Amino acid sequence: MESERHRTLIWDWTIRVFHWALVGLVAGMWWTAQQGLMFWHKWLGLALIGLLIYRLVWGLIGPVTARLIPLVPRPRALLGYIRRLSERPYQASFGHNPLGGLSVLALLGLLMVQVGSGLIAVDVDGLFSGWFGHLVSFDTGRAAAEFHETSFKFLLGFILLHVSAIAAYALVLRTNLIGPMLTGRRSEARGPTPGLDAGASPFKAGLAIGTGLLAVALVLWLGR
Amino acid sequence: MPLKSLVPTALGLALLAACGGGDAPAASDAGAEVLANGLTVKAQIEARQDSFKTLGRNFKTINDQLRTDAPDLAAIEDAAATLAETAAGLSDWFPDGTGPEAGVKTRALAGIWETRDDFNSKASDAQAVLAALSTAVDTGDLDAISAAVRTTGGACKACHDDYRAEE
Repeated sequence: MESERHRTLIWDWTIRVFHWALVGLVAGMWWTAQQGLMFWHKWLGLALIGLLIYRLVWGLIGPVTARLIPLVPRPRALLGYIRRLSERPYQASFGHNPLGGLSVLALLGLLMVQVGSGLIAVDVDGLFSGWFGHLVSFDTGRAAAEFHETSFKFLLGFILLHVSAIAAYALVLRTNLIGPMLTGRRSEARGPTPGLDAGASPFKAGLAIGTGLLAVALVLWLGR
Repeated sequence: MPLKSLVPTALGLALLAACGGGDAPAASDAGAEVLANGLTVKAQIEARQDSFKTLGRNFKTINDQLRTDAPDLAAIEDAAATLAETAAGLSDWFPDGTGPEAGVKTRALAGIWETRDDFNSKASDAQAVLAALSTAVDTGDLDAISAAVRTTGGACKACHDDYRAEE
């Protein structure tokens, strides 16, 4: 084990908690939907809203590796990265690599679509609806529910792509992506370390998490 | 582009493609047979699906109202009346030949026709609880209405558990 000095922080603690909470929540939401436990599905969905709002705020004010706008792909950087994938040893990025950034945007986008459609979804019997289901007609709510089901297949596809990409980085590129998502750090020797601070400022973290909690409170207040 | 980076991409695209297939459309000439009531099989199945949607729509109205601080009793009353009226012919919505064998997309299970007496008795149960719901609505007592709504939900579920296919 290398000493802390030679291990560079790339993921702050809030991002790591966000990531693993998301894994648990998405699994829980899938399971509750399969089992028809709509009461719990709705509450887990509320937690998911809080997480996503935190992530969006953190994507604006968080450390450099958490920022979302730089993840919008620039074709040249993306192609350059794909070309460099054949070079050995593989040089890990400081934060998201251009392909991984695309994956983050796709996953976050699909999660927002999922939450958005779920908020107004209505079940076929008119028994259950999302937090804002009362604001739409039965037919609109049903259409949202159908959409919610279809878009989940895309989300699932991207999750499987994400997991297989992690496996490919481990097996082919000999790069462990799971360890850094647990500890926040990777070896300095694995790739360039520009010396930027990827840590969470407590004040900003409070602001992002607070905004997430505020969103949860708003849904509870306005929703049913 | 090296082969190695293609692997996850190709895997992902294959997965997406595998997810693309939805329900296969029924053959267009399926369900053209004419029933004793003059409707084609297809028209009968579609008519009952519309009726169930009317039930869902009105059940939602009641549930939405009951979740507000001041439920609109007139809206609940209208919805409860529509529910009772719509469900009046429930067991007639399933004449012979309108099951899954018809080739028309339907979630009705063959069990409806296999254990017809049980199905009919569950349909009458639903009609009875809907009548009780209307009575509860007339009292204007929200607790009684909520209790009747829960009983109604249970009666719907009892039949759906046995006779409606999972989505």
